[in-house]
Amino acid sequence: MTSAVTIPRHGGSGGRTAVAARARQVVKAYGSGETRVVALDHVDVDIARGQFTAIMGPSGSGKSTLMHCLAGLDTVTSGQIYLDETEITGLKDKKLTQLRRDRVGFIFQAFNLLPTLNALENITLPMDIAGRKPDRAWLDRVVETVGLAGRLKHRPTQLSGGQQQRVAVARALAARPEIIFGDEPTGNLDSRAGAEVLGFLRRSVDELGQTIVIVTHDPVAASYADRVLYLADGRIVDEMFNPTAEQVLDRMKDFDARGRTS
Amino acid sequence: MTVLKTSMRNFFAHKGRMALSAVAVLLSVAFVCGTLVFTDTMNTTFDKLFAATSSDVTVSAKEASDTGETTSDTGKPPVIPAAALGTVRSAQGVKAAEGTVFSTSVTVVDADKDSLSPSSGAPTIVGSWNANDARTMKITSGAAPHGSGQVMVDEDTADKHHLRLGDEIAVISALGTHTAKISGIAAFQVTNPGAAIFYLDTPTAQRTLVGATDVFTNVNVTAAAGVSDAQLKKNVTAALGGDYKVQTAKETADANQKSVGDFLNVMKYAMLGFAGIAFLVGIFLIINTFSMLVAQRTREIGLMRAIGSSRKQVNRSVLVEALLLGVVGSVLGVGAGVGIAVGLMKLMGQMGMHLSTDDLTVAWSTPVLGLVLGVVVTVLAAYLPARRAGKVSPMAALRDAHAPADARAGLVRAVIGLVLTGAGGYALYVAANADKASDGSLWLGLGVVASLIGFVVIGPLLAGGVVRVLGAVLLRVFGPVGRMAERNALRNPRRTGATGAALMIGLALVACLSVVGSSMVASASDQLDKTVGTDFIIQSDSGQVITPQAVQAIKNTRGLERVTEYKTLDVNLTTPDGKVSKDETINAADPTYAKDLRTKTVAGDLADAYRPDSMSVFEGFAKDHGVKLGSTVSVAFKDGRTAKLTVRAITSDDVVIDKGAMYASIATAARYVPADRLPLDQLVFATAKEGQQDAAYTSLKSALHDYPQYTVRDQTDYKQALKDQIGQLLNLIYGLLALAIIVAVLGVVNTLALSVVERTREIGLMRAIGLSRRQLRRMIRLESVVIALFGALLGLGLGMGWGATAQQLLALEGLQVLDIPWPTIIGVFIGSAFVGLFAALIPAFRAGRMNILNAIATE
Repeated sequence: MTSAVTIPRHGGSGGRTAVAARARQVVKAYGSGETRVVALDHVDVDIARGQFTAIMGPSGSGKSTLMHCLAGLDTVTSGQIYLDETEITGLKDKKLTQLRRDRVGFIFQAFNLLPTLNALENITLPMDIAGRKPDRAWLDRVVETVGLAGRLKHRPTQLSGGQQQRVAVARALAARPEIIFGDEPTGNLDSRAGAEVLGFLRRSVDELGQTIVIVTHDPVAASYADRVLYLADGRIVDEMFNPTAEQVLDRMKDFDARGRTS
Repeated sequence: MTVLKTSMRNFFAHKGRMALSAVAVLLSVAFVCGTLVFTDTMNTTFDKLFAATSSDVTVSAKEASDTGETTSDTGKPPVIPAAALGTVRSAQGVKAAEGTVFSTSVTVVDADKDSLSPSSGAPTIVGSWNANDARTMKITSGAAPHGSGQVMVDEDTADKHHLRLGDEIAVISALGTHTAKISGIAAFQVTNPGAAIFYLDTPTAQRTLVGATDVFTNVNVTAAAGVSDAQLKKNVTAALGGDYKVQTAKETADANQKSVGDFLNVMKYAMLGFAGIAFLVGIFLIINTFSMLVAQRTREIGLMRAIGSSRKQVNRSVLVEALLLGVVGSVLGVGAGVGIAVGLMKLMGQMGMHLSTDDLTVAWSTPVLGLVLGVVVTVLAAYLPARRAGKVSPMAALRDAHAPADARAGLVRAVIGLVLTGAGGYALYVAANADKASDGSLWLGLGVVASLIGFVVIGPLLAGGVVRVLGAVLLRVFGPVGRMAERNALRNPRRTGATGAALMIGLALVACLSVVGSSMVASASDQLDKTVGTDFIIQSDSGQVITPQAVQAIKNTRGLERVTEYKTLDVNLTTPDGKVSKDETINAADPTYAKDLRTKTVAGDLADAYRPDSMSVFEGFAKDHGVKLGSTVSVAFKDGRTAKLTVRAITSDDVVIDKGAMYASIATAARYVPADRLPLDQLVFATAKEGQQDAAYTSLKSALHDYPQYTVRDQTDYKQALKDQIGQLLNLIYGLLALAIIVAVLGVVNTLALSVVERTREIGLMRAIGLSRRQLRRMIRLESVVIALFGALLGLGLGMGWGATAQQLLALEGLQVLDIPWPTIIGVFIGSAFVGLFAALIPAFRAGRMNILNAIATE
C-alpha cells in the first residue's frame, strides 16, 4: 500500500476492526424434506478490511449465494452475518435497504446502470436516494481514477460494455461504502476491458483503501485479489493468498479432478 | 398451425398482462349489450302492458291522440257523446261495449296535500273502473269504488305512499278538487312500469274529470266470438260514421309502443354513443398492451424470424393473440352486459319504475353484436403493434433484449399531427365566427374531430414538453425519486402519449360540456337579470297546465301588484307572402307580460302587440316571410276560428327566454277560440307591490299549498332550478362518461403494470443499491400521476377550447355569456392526480414486493 493514501472515513467512529464482514455458521437451504438443497453449509468466513477478496468455485458451489448473503441481498436460514459490528441477519427490509444504501456498494455482471440516467447521475444515484450530497473532491477523484471524465453526460446506451462497468465501479466507490461486492463484474467483458476494470478495483484497494469482495470463475480475475476463497458444495474448502493466475488455474484443475473422481 | 400454437402459448403465458385489456373489452362490450338488453326489456314490458290493457277496439274522440292518452291543455280530455255507446252496441259483431272516462291531466294528493304522482315522469291516471281494467287488475284488498265517496288505488302507489283502506285522497282536475276515501287496492297482473292509477266509479269519474255525465272519453268494444278486431273496427266505424277515432287493440298498442319506442331509442342511441367512446378509449389500451408485449418479446420474435418464420407468420401470431383476447373479453362482456341490464332495472326500480326480470329480453342479435364488436375492435387495435412485430429483424435475437430502442415520435407523426391540429383549430375558428348556426355546427364538428385526432397523433411529442413542465413544477420537490419518475414517463413518449390520450378523450368531453352547461346557466341568468321584470313564476314541473282554481288562488293573494297569465295555442299561420306555416305556436298572455319580460324589439312597441286583433312576430320569421309592421297575418286557431291579426311589433332574436315567440293577448285569442277549448295557463307570473316581495312570496306559497303540482319560484329560485336542471343533465352525462374514464384509468394501470414488468431488472438494481420500498412505490406513483395529469391537461385544454367555440357559435342562439367553470375544471385536474395515485396502487405494490435477487437475475 502506498502511504500517500488515507483510509476513507466511514460513518462509525474509531476503533475499527480489521474485519469488514463476518459470516458465522451460515446455512442457506432451499426447499424442505426430500427436495431440500443446501447452498451454504455452516460457512465461517472473515473478510479482511482494506483487502481484495475473490470467491471462486464451480457452478452451484454457493459462491454467489454467499456473496448475496454477506451483502444483505439474501436472507440466511441460520447463522449470523456481521457487517463491521452490525449483525445484519434478522434486520428488517427497511434497515437492510438503508444498510445497502449507506454502507455497501455493488457491481453486477451486467445491467448495472439505469438507462434513463446519464453516467454521472448513475454514479451519484445511491447518494441521491439517500438524500446526501456527494463529496465533490472525492467524486472528482473517483471519476478520474476510473477514467470517465469525458463521458459523464453520456447515457449508458452510448457507452461501451467496459465503460459501463467502469461507471458501475465509480458508483460503488463514490459513496465510500465500507465494502464493495462484485458479482462476476468482468463476466461480460472481453479480456482487455476486464483487465481495465480489475485494474481499477485493485487500485481502489491499494490507493483508496477500499474493501472489495468479488465472485468470479475467471482465474485471471482472481489473480488480482489479495486472497482467494474456494467454495465447493456450500463449504469453504481452501484459500490462497496473493495468487497468480496460473496458481489459481492449477488449484481449480485440482478441484475439478477431485470432483470427477469422487 | 404452429402460428396458432405459439399464439395460444403466448396468450396463456402472458394472461396476467392481458387481463386489463380484457377488462377494457369486457366493459365496453358489457355496456353495449347491457344497453340493448335493457331497452329490449323495456320494450317487452311495455308491449305486454299495452297488449294487456287495450281492448279489442277502442272508440275515442277525433282529436284524441292515437295512443288514447287523455291529456289535454284545456285540462279536460276530449270526449264523445254517451249516445255513441248505444250505436256501438248495436253494431255487428259487438259482444259488449262499455263507456269509460280517463284523464291524465290530473293531480292526486293525500290528506296532507302531498302529491301521489310518480316521481319518475310516468303518468298519473284517473279513470272509471271498467270491465277491461278488471281483466288486467286484481283487487287485492277492499272493493271496487262505488259512489262518489270511494276511490281505488293501484298497489304499487299504495305501497309507495303507505296508503291504506279508508285513507282520504283528493283528485285535482281543471274542474275542481274531488275528495274520496280509498275503498280498494288493485294489483296489476302484468308489470306496470310506474304509472299511478286511481279508479272512480263511472258517474263520479265523469263528473270529476269531464264535468258532464253524458259523455265518455273512450268506448271499449269487445268482439263477439269469431269476429276479428279489424272486422269489428270496420263494423263499428260503419255504425258511427267518420266523426270518431276507432282503433283496434293492435293499433292502440302500436301507437303506444311507438311513443315509448321513440323515447327508448333516444336513450338507446345515447348510451351506445357513450359505449362507443369507451371502445375508442379501449383501443388505446389494447394498442399499448400489444406494443409493450411485442417490445418485451423482441428477442423472442427475432429468434423466430432467425429460424425461419416469415413476417406474415409473426404478424399473424400477434393478431391471433388479439383475436383470443377479443373473444375472451367479449364473451365475458356479453355475460356482464346482462348483469348491467339487471342492475339498471334495479336502479330504475329505485327511481319508481318497476321492471320485472321475468321480462328480461336477450335478442339473438345482442350477443352477436357484442362479440363482433369486441373482436373486431380488438384485432383492429392490435394491427399496428402486429405490423411492428413483423418488422422485427432476425438480428434482434442477438442484440441485448433489454435495450428496447426508444420509440421516438417521428417527423412524419409531427407533421401529420400538426396539420390535423392546425386544421382542427382553423375549423374551430371558423365555427366561432360563423354567421349561421347551421354552418357553424358543421365546422364545430369538423374542428372537434380534427383537433382530437391531431392531439392523439402529436400526443407523444407533447408528452415530452408537458411532462418536463409538470416535472419541474411538481416532481422537483421529490428529489431524485421525482427525477427518475419523470425520466421513466419520458422514456417512451409514444406509450405515455397513448396512455394520456385515452384519459384525454373522456376529460375533454367533460370539460367541453361543463363549459357549455355553465355558459347556458350564466347566459340565462344574465338574461333573467336584464329582461325579467316580474317577481314570481308559477308553473308545474311535470308540464301540467294550471287550473283556473289555482290561478284564482294566486290572484287572491295579498300583496301582489299584478298577475299575468300565459298560455300557448296551436295555430297555422298564413303570411302575406302566401305561405302557410303549420303547427306554429302563439303565446297568448295578458298585456302586462310586456312588463314582466322586457323582450327587445327591432320594430314597433311590444305593448301594442297585446291590443285587440294584434300580434308580434320574431325577427327571423319576419325576415323569412316578408312580414313588416302593419302586415296582416291570418291565424287559424286549432279548435277555433281564423283571425286576421295585425303585426304591431317584431321581437329581437337575440334572446334566450321565449326565443321565437309570437305574442298576442289572451283576449284576442278568446275572441276566436270557444271558452271550453281555450287552453289553460302554462305559466302565471306574479309581481309583488313595491317592498312587499317577501310577504307576497310567503302568501303565494301558502295559497298554492293545496296544489302541490305547482311551484312558486322567485328569480333566485328560478336561477337555481335552471342550474339544477342543467347540473342534473351534466351529471347524467358525466356518469355515462365515467365508463370511458374508467377504461382510461385501466389504461394507466395497464401501462404502469407492464412497465414495472419491463423494468424488473432496473427495479432490482435500484433496490440493491439502496432504494427503499417506499421510494420505489413513490417513484411509480409519481410516474402515474404525471401521466394522468398529462392526459388531464390535454383533455381539459382541448375540451375548454371546444366548449368556448361552442359558446361562440351558440351566441347566435342567445348564449351570450362564456362562463368557464373553474371549480369543475380545477377539480377534475386535481381529481386526475388522485386517479393517477389510485392507478399506481397495485403496480407500485407489486414492484415493492419484488424479490431483489430474482429481479436482477431476470432476463
